[in-house]
Amino acid sequence: MPSQPSLNWSAIASVACVLGLGCPIGSTQAAERPVSFVNDVVPVLTKAGCNMGTCHAKAGGGQNGFQLSLLGFEPAEDFEHIVLEARGRRLFFANPDKSLLLLKAAGQVPHRGGVRLPVSSPGYAAVREWIRQGVPQDAANSPKLIGIEVDPKKGSLRRQATQQLKVTARYSDGSMRDVTDMALFESNDKALADVTESGLVKVLDLPGKVSVMVRYQTCVAVFNAAIPLGAPVPTLPPEKNFVDAAVFANLKDLGIPPSPVCDDATFLRRVTLDIAGRLPTEEEAKAFLADKSADKRDKWIDELLQSPDYADFFAGKWTALLKNRRDDESDTVSNFAFHAWVRDSLLSNKPYDQFVRELLAATGTVIGNPPVAWYKRVKEPKEQLEDVAQLFLGVRMQCAQCHHHPFERWSQDDYYSLAAFFSQVGRKPSGTRGEDLIFHKRGMATATNMKTRVALKPAAFGDSMLAIAPDEDPRLKLADWMKSPKNPFFAKVLVNRYWKHFFQRGLIEPEDDIRDSNPPSNPELLAALEKHFIDSKFDMKELVRVITRSNAYQLSSTPNKDNIGDRQNYSRYYPRRLSAEVMLDSIDQLASTQTDFPNLPAGTRAVALPDNSYNRTSPFLRVFGRPEGQSVCECERVQSSSLAQSLHMINAADIRAKLAHANGRAQNLANDPRPAEAKIKELYLVAFAREPRPEELSAALGYLNEPRMNAAGQKVDAQKAARENFQDLLWAMMTTKEFLFNH
Amino acid sequence: MNITRATLAGALLLGWATSACAQSVGLPAPRLLTITPMGGKVGTAVEVTITGEYLDEAGDLIFSDPRITAKRKLDAAGSPIANHYAVTIAADCPPELYEARVMTRLGASSSRVFAVGTLTEVTPAKPNRSLATAQELPMNSVCNGCLAARSVDFYTFSAKKGQRVIVDCATRGIDSKLNATVVIGDAAGRDLLVERRGGVLDFAVPKDGSYSIKIHELTFKGGSAFYYRLGLWEQPAGTPIVRQPGTKTVNSFSWPPVGLPQQAAQTEVEPNNSGETAQKIKLPCDISGRFYPAADVDFYEFEAKKGEEWWIEVASERLGLPTDPAILVQQVIKGEKGTPDKLVDVLELSDIPSPVKVSSNGYAYDGPPYNAGSSDILGKLAIKEDGTYRLQLSDLFGGTRSEAGHIYRLVIRKAAPDFALVGWAIHMELRNGDRNAVSKPIALRGGATVAFEVVAFRRDGFDGDIELAMEGLPKGVTAHGLKIPAGQSRGMMLITAEADAPRGYANATFVGRATVAGQAVTRPCRLASVSWPIPDSWGEIPSTRLLADVPVSVSGIDHAPLTITPKTPMIEARVGEKVTVPLAHKRTCDFSGNKIHMKAIGAGFERAPGFDLTVTDDASQVVFDLKTLNVPPGEYRVSFLGGGVAKYRYQPEVVLAASVEAESKKKLEEVKSLEAEVKKVATDAQSAPPEKKEQMAKALAAANAKMKAATDALTATQQQLTRAKQAAQPKDIVDIVVCEPFTIRVLPVEKK
Repeated sequence: MPSQPSLNWSAIASVACVLGLGCPIGSTQAAERPVSFVNDVVPVLTKAGCNMGTCHAKAGGGQNGFQLSLLGFEPAEDFEHIVLEARGRRLFFANPDKSLLLLKAAGQVPHRGGVRLPVSSPGYAAVREWIRQGVPQDAANSPKLIGIEVDPKKGSLRRQATQQLKVTARYSDGSMRDVTDMALFESNDKALADVTESGLVKVLDLPGKVSVMVRYQTCVAVFNAAIPLGAPVPTLPPEKNFVDAAVFANLKDLGIPPSPVCDDATFLRRVTLDIAGRLPTEEEAKAFLADKSADKRDKWIDELLQSPDYADFFAGKWTALLKNRRDDESDTVSNFAFHAWVRDSLLSNKPYDQFVRELLAATGTVIGNPPVAWYKRVKEPKEQLEDVAQLFLGVRMQCAQCHHHPFERWSQDDYYSLAAFFSQVGRKPSGTRGEDLIFHKRGMATATNMKTRVALKPAAFGDSMLAIAPDEDPRLKLADWMKSPKNPFFAKVLVNRYWKHFFQRGLIEPEDDIRDSNPPSNPELLAALEKHFIDSKFDMKELVRVITRSNAYQLSSTPNKDNIGDRQNYSRYYPRRLSAEVMLDSIDQLASTQTDFPNLPAGTRAVALPDNSYNRTSPFLRVFGRPEGQSVCECERVQSSSLAQSLHMINAADIRAKLAHANGRAQNLANDPRPAEAKIKELYLVAFAREPRPEELSAALGYLNEPRMNAAGQKVDAQKAARENFQDLLWAMMTTKEFLFNH
Repeated sequence: MNITRATLAGALLLGWATSACAQSVGLPAPRLLTITPMGGKVGTAVEVTITGEYLDEAGDLIFSDPRITAKRKLDAAGSPIANHYAVTIAADCPPELYEARVMTRLGASSSRVFAVGTLTEVTPAKPNRSLATAQELPMNSVCNGCLAARSVDFYTFSAKKGQRVIVDCATRGIDSKLNATVVIGDAAGRDLLVERRGGVLDFAVPKDGSYSIKIHELTFKGGSAFYYRLGLWEQPAGTPIVRQPGTKTVNSFSWPPVGLPQQAAQTEVEPNNSGETAQKIKLPCDISGRFYPAADVDFYEFEAKKGEEWWIEVASERLGLPTDPAILVQQVIKGEKGTPDKLVDVLELSDIPSPVKVSSNGYAYDGPPYNAGSSDILGKLAIKEDGTYRLQLSDLFGGTRSEAGHIYRLVIRKAAPDFALVGWAIHMELRNGDRNAVSKPIALRGGATVAFEVVAFRRDGFDGDIELAMEGLPKGVTAHGLKIPAGQSRGMMLITAEADAPRGYANATFVGRATVAGQAVTRPCRLASVSWPIPDSWGEIPSTRLLADVPVSVSGIDHAPLTITPKTPMIEARVGEKVTVPLAHKRTCDFSGNKIHMKAIGAGFERAPGFDLTVTDDASQVVFDLKTLNVPPGEYRVSFLGGGVAKYRYQPEVVLAASVEAESKKKLEEVKSLEAEVKKVATDAQSAPPEKKEQMAKALAAANAKMKAATDALTATQQQLTRAKQAAQPKDIVDIVVCEPFTIRVLPVEKK
């Protein structure tokens, strides 16, 4: 039994009032009114945690055979389970206190869930009263919950402040009820603020934006709070575009002074890593640092966006999300073709709406039309809708297959209506095992709600479509709906995803979980990015351009005394460890070596690998978290640190082999007749895109000039010593945070 | 599956299902695998090198057109150099693809495409696997290249701003295994234009300068089978691109219908993308159109009368395009008093199914890899009411693809019954991944009968008998067709070489004959073949195509392991009687086990039970019960088909030849004598006075060199002998055994 939240019984005491058992409010006359199962009993069970997915709402019959619907979304079913099931043994009308339901909940008989409703609690009293009244069922015309409101809706809170929230439910008969004590509260960022079960928001030390999701039965409301730091913001970097305007306005509002714009070397390395997934070369670094033109940063961004490196890097990102996974040798051709299609689409800057359209409405053969390969990986309509919803619309629909979405307005009808778009995907066998030809199968598209058995026509999140003729591929209609400028999801999720790519944190987190109850940290910025993206006709390179040209992106990662705690408002660049592929390529670049990947040409870079199969032969890629293409979530890529990573950098055979490679940089530098200073400069330019500082130069020189002794204390041959010294220097640089992180 | 197919499968499966994995599949067959370069320029001579399997004693290189001729290349001593030929392409040889074959000990090899073009031919002299070592290509040239595994080939070319440059890489269309990725890049090799689907690159040159072309296999596979002809030419603006020629897909045998003009009478007129804008047409019609842009649907509207029958045929996939046409015909019932028109579905048409089950390309062989069906359309529209009809034509694969080249031809006609034929060598239905033997040239061993499956594409309701015939065969070769019975789609052609048939080659004629609407009609039967022998079907899908001709050859040296012949070519019997067919067996090698299972083939007799034939006997007899088989009066061509495991010896004559052994001995003697000479010179050199030291040292070096050459020659001869001995060891090989066909004349019951 997982741990359950402890209950605040003093708060729940007021439930008696809610039930009209003690202190009526609102317009409802309380005296002796019948207890409503839906409005009075189910909320008690929900607040007490009885109907959580880990307890009695567990799939497959519920805990110990007592099934409740998840979070009480199906009261009619709950009534049946409680009252009629198990031959009525759960209730004892002659003596309600002896009802198994109450005995268990109050812990008077052994209950693995512990005490959920103490005998003295109002919740207990409510359920007891319902049983005493003979378990009345709600009449057809009994009041229905139609909404909840939280008060206040938003606010600006000082650090360490508290704010009590009040939740009011509105019913179909016009009545209102304070349901604060029965509602559930959840903070979206516990580092900024926490919230108690009774709705008391406690702000912590960090400044930023936080929201508290309030749930009561099927309804959701949100309290948004700004937590200003309140520090003076005397100067802000110049605003280069709307991104800067929105980011800096937010910082000003919150009183968080940003770090200054970073230097050229930092910018060059950062943007090259972020756009092209590689380090700048020595020549590029030299040229950029020497360039005195005012627009050299903008020009470099354009240069990177033109390069195939951009396409290679982002193709790796997209193909992992699109599950380009090799499970069998027969996947090879389709994986290469699919990866190449993504890469070529990015290289030619295919508009994003067209890219998605070609993917989700793909037909034909994999060789003739590579996005068909997606249908090889994602075979069932439910997987198709779930992946499309999460990846391209930022909506996680998985829950709604079986029940109403707990945090959202999506119902099972929404789920199956979305599935209906994929119901006419026809398949014919191809010559390759496991691979089908995909075509539109003529017919009326419908999908049956597994619960109601009603066949539903295609509809996207409540937006019904004009009738789709049997000859029309509904997927094309879905693509049309997506690209509409009015679509509230499509552009938003992409700009948020890309924002996160460059800023390490999405304006909405997680980046693919867009919902009313998870508001963005900077709504104005998100809206502006969305509009810009739509206005640019879904131009992905332009999106990258506008983001990276901003001074907000180009801020230094070095914090000042005020913004050191900021993790959310982009007051400085948040450093991030290089991803597995980029790090491997960077090490190769620094060591002047190549990693050999099976059956690929020598010199193939890790960022250009077409699928996950190379993880098997590369411990490096595995250890540093390269994804396996199992899910549409970016979270599959592991960016955290581990002991294994440290050990790998310290002692792995591949790292040692790269350092000691006969044609590697260490060997070449050892043989190089240039003065040591020049060689150290080369190393710094390659590794960090900057020249060494005087103290670094002298430390490196000192090390290189140290006599090298063998185990017997004898001087090592000069050539060997030089080689080993350079290997050590390379290795030391390779393991610095400055190298391993983009900063 | 009809009876023919089931019989064939049963006959071939029963004998070997459990034991097949232990032995090789298919007797050795000569296969020409590569010819380098892969083509030449009209009116020039080109030296080519060939490689292949079982090309021993390779002789003449034969082309499918007499305007291309080849002579063996000779060394300085006037002896032929193995596998090298000088090919001459006559000035009047049209630029096209031709079949090349080499005559070998086992007969004519399988075919390899040889391209004849008009561009300057280039063959890279050295590896060009980096930009630094890129091969420079002149404009208007074609380069014969071959990709190594894990490699990228680099080329450069110069172009001027505003030029329109075409880069067209022929690969699959010239029998290569290459799925090419072709990239035009800038001088630094950075990608500008990429093509991975076999399309052409149409490049508008942005500025004067040097450009690069990179080419690699999609998955970076490579080897001698991954060759290409990379065409680079300047194309005048606004003119259509004519790509390098390619072979035809198997299912294109059924297109076009006989007599269809080259150009359609009409073209589609856009906008016709909705019912309201439907293009008005009159039946019959012949329209060319295209599925363009993405999700294009073309609507046509016509009037038709009750009782009319129209045949609708669409070709698009059979034109070599990756399309899947679909048609919906609806009757338009005009709405009254301003109400909208009502549409009533009348007919839906999609794929043309293959008359035979196509291989699933799994591990087990469960059908031929040749697809005689198509994703095109052929169907009948029967009009039940006078009225207006609307036909909509779309590409089920075209929802998101905007390819202007995805064209179609729509023909709606009154019934014009006809047929088209395609045939291929049969293979055994085995639980074995070895598909080498599917690559089967008609190279006959003495005494062998080989079987070809023939499939008919019946057009517009034609369902009569189709008789099969082959003419123009080499000396000593006969061919007998097992007809395609009325209403069915499959027949067979059995080709037999007499035991002592001389070595020979002929380009035969293969036809089907039928009576259509009272007229005798003859149609060609095209042959289909796989492009490559495939040892492991799990890892590779066979690539198939139509052959340009029907080459039949005879080994004249090798013999069939088992020859089964009827003792009399014609047997008469009356309806309801039992017929005994006496058979003679002749073995040229041992078999694994002494029985092989066989079944009758040929219309009317396929339901006869199978039987075990004792291989070790010299004769046997098979009895048919005409009563059980319920065979009506008529003449029936019948044969028996089965399979056995022969203990086959390859080229035993090499081992037996005294000359090889003698040569080896002679070389050994030579080496021994040289050894003694070297020893003597060495001793002399040691004791030589100082002034002669240098001279003696030279003599010793010369003797050593001579010795080394002789040792190498000895080693080569011995290795050759060892290889020949190994090859000539009896090896278990499972293969098809076919009896020479015979005729059973069934007479009516004698009236008393």
